[in-house]
Amino acid sequence: MATSSPPVQNLSTSQRRYSYHVETDSESDNRAAKFLAAFAAILRHSNYHFIIELFAKASSRCGRCAVTCQVYQASKDPRDIPCYRTNILLDVYRQYFTTSGQIHNRLMGQDSLNNEKIDEIAECFYRCMACRRCTLECPMGIDHGLMTHLGRYILSEAGIAPKGLVVSVREQLEGTTANTSAIPLPALLDNLEFLQDELRDMKNASISFPVDQEDSEYIFFPAVSDYLMEADTLMGNAAVLHAAATSWTIGSKYYDGINYGLFYDDWVLQRIIQKLVGEAQRLKARKVLIGECGHAARSARQFVPTFAGDRKLPVVSILELTLQAIREGKVKLNRDAIAERVTYHDPCNIARSGWIIDQPRQILKSFIRDFVEMNPHGRENYCCGGGGGLVSLDELHEFRMHVSGKTKAEQIQATGAQIVVSPCANCKKQLRELMNYYKLPVQVVGVHDLILRAIEL
Amino acid sequence: MPTWMILAKGPAFFFVLTLFVLGMLRLFVLTLWDIAAAVRRAGDQRVPYAQLARQTLSWLFPFTRLNRVRVIYSIAAFSLHLGILFGALFLRNHLDILRSNVGFAWISFPKPLLDFLTVIGIIGALILLFSRIYLRNSRQLSKLPDYILLILLLNIFVSGFVAGRSWNPIPYDGLMLFHTLNGMAILVISPFTKIAHCILFPLIRLGSEVAWHFTPQGGSHVVETLHGPDGRKV
Repeated sequence: MATSSPPVQNLSTSQRRYSYHVETDSESDNRAAKFLAAFAAILRHSNYHFIIELFAKASSRCGRCAVTCQVYQASKDPRDIPCYRTNILLDVYRQYFTTSGQIHNRLMGQDSLNNEKIDEIAECFYRCMACRRCTLECPMGIDHGLMTHLGRYILSEAGIAPKGLVVSVREQLEGTTANTSAIPLPALLDNLEFLQDELRDMKNASISFPVDQEDSEYIFFPAVSDYLMEADTLMGNAAVLHAAATSWTIGSKYYDGINYGLFYDDWVLQRIIQKLVGEAQRLKARKVLIGECGHAARSARQFVPTFAGDRKLPVVSILELTLQAIREGKVKLNRDAIAERVTYHDPCNIARSGWIIDQPRQILKSFIRDFVEMNPHGRENYCCGGGGGLVSLDELHEFRMHVSGKTKAEQIQATGAQIVVSPCANCKKQLRELMNYYKLPVQVVGVHDLILRAIEL
Repeated sequence: MPTWMILAKGPAFFFVLTLFVLGMLRLFVLTLWDIAAAVRRAGDQRVPYAQLARQTLSWLFPFTRLNRVRVIYSIAAFSLHLGILFGALFLRNHLDILRSNVGFAWISFPKPLLDFLTVIGIIGALILLFSRIYLRNSRQLSKLPDYILLILLLNIFVSGFVAGRSWNPIPYDGLMLFHTLNGMAILVISPFTKIAHCILFPLIRLGSEVAWHFTPQGGSHVVETLHGPDGRKV
């Protein structure tokens, strides 16, 4: 790209074993034994056994995925080829969990899985953003994103997970505030009152953020960090819900849509979903409404039916609701409110499956005159470079900027847009850091930030 | 006809074919069984079968996908598969052997067409072999079996193509022995190598989707197994 790139820094430091911080960092750990025990337990109790067996038999290592992976394209490091990473895990499986592998080990006296190998795996699996773009071009249909998920899950159960994710999840599941940003309830309520006042000043309308309203149509879970950092997104959400005359509520016992379990551990994923569903049930809400957050939307949509037992609730993205309200004429948007050129970044977690692609575009095109697409976009979009939880790991900043996010910065620059819109808290954080790093004069906002500017109440 | 040829076309072929068919069927049935079991265990049993079938079919006939990434490599791989499928399954000589062993066969294709497909198969295999040796990302991914399989396939293609030609400098019987042994080797190892994808292909996308349908208490059971009934903290 036209902007000059700072030199790559060596990510390996003498202070820590991996590029990211972990809590347990004892040299005396038998990490290989723990890894194999975790691997065995997961194969026994989950649905991963058949798929790893299938991939181990069918993986052809053709390398088409290397061309589609933006990390490998930037780094040229073999560890970043999706198929290479998948085969690291498949090799461990073949060697320790198949009869032929065990016979081979006995005959050859081989036992190659040692702590150094585990450290290589731990490093490798957190260089992937789990964006699953590579799955689009695998002729075999191997889902390398699933393998990244499994590899990280095994590592987590073996005691290796990024501290930045673990600390947040601990507060969410076992802390007093029950959310990843550690926002106490009184602070949340103060914040909501502030947002209501802001909306009154801005739109001259009385728009509330209802809390603990029983029997609502929707219970609302944004990424909780939005309460701290994305006031305009939340006010836009509330303005739409107000204009659409929707009954909705925020739960006081649990108000966080974030689910880092999707990034590294199924046990965490399961417990967070159960917590979310429990709060919806407490308030007798009929549907779960997820705010502008890619992974929160995907984890709820995909895993509420799995982990909610008989308490299954429909999961709706705020983007679906907003588009419906616009189509029904309940939300009016001023076509002159936004004069800048706008482009849209698809969050991988909601676009790769094809679920949320057209809705935000239809919303934006309904009131924005100068809308341009990135190339490619939609299902084939490039990741922001901070997916799979990497954006939450500040120690990976250099990697996210110079390697994983480089392609996205080039894409945005090529559009000539002054505003890039993305309905995802993680993507927005990464994109803002990218714009700052590459010194691109582009504002990064959510869809509802622009709606807030344009909505007529 | 030399004794070895009679043996190769008769009992040896029947034995190898039986191993191949049973081995492949076993793989397919066991994998399908595993997928069905995974769906039964899943908390969410809704699987988009029609969508997955469409995706699988679109990759089985990947005409619109070849020019998207790694164009030369993709076309070479497709050509190789065409050569293998048509050369192996529709050559009259092969079908005669099949008919004499199992009592049935199907229609053969004209020899000139199969010669053409064999040539593009050879070119495809050479490009893939060249890529695995000289292109960085292919080389970084390749393992010894990847090279051996390509060389075995090239042996079969070239020996089969050259054997019946007037300009063939190598004795026919010797070349056919070489062709037959390589062919039998491929059939025998297929269920145990990545060639298994030829039977597992229709199940891989289905499996990838089903694997995302987790078991409802899987995470808790894993923690209990590793840490006992009291579990662990985050």
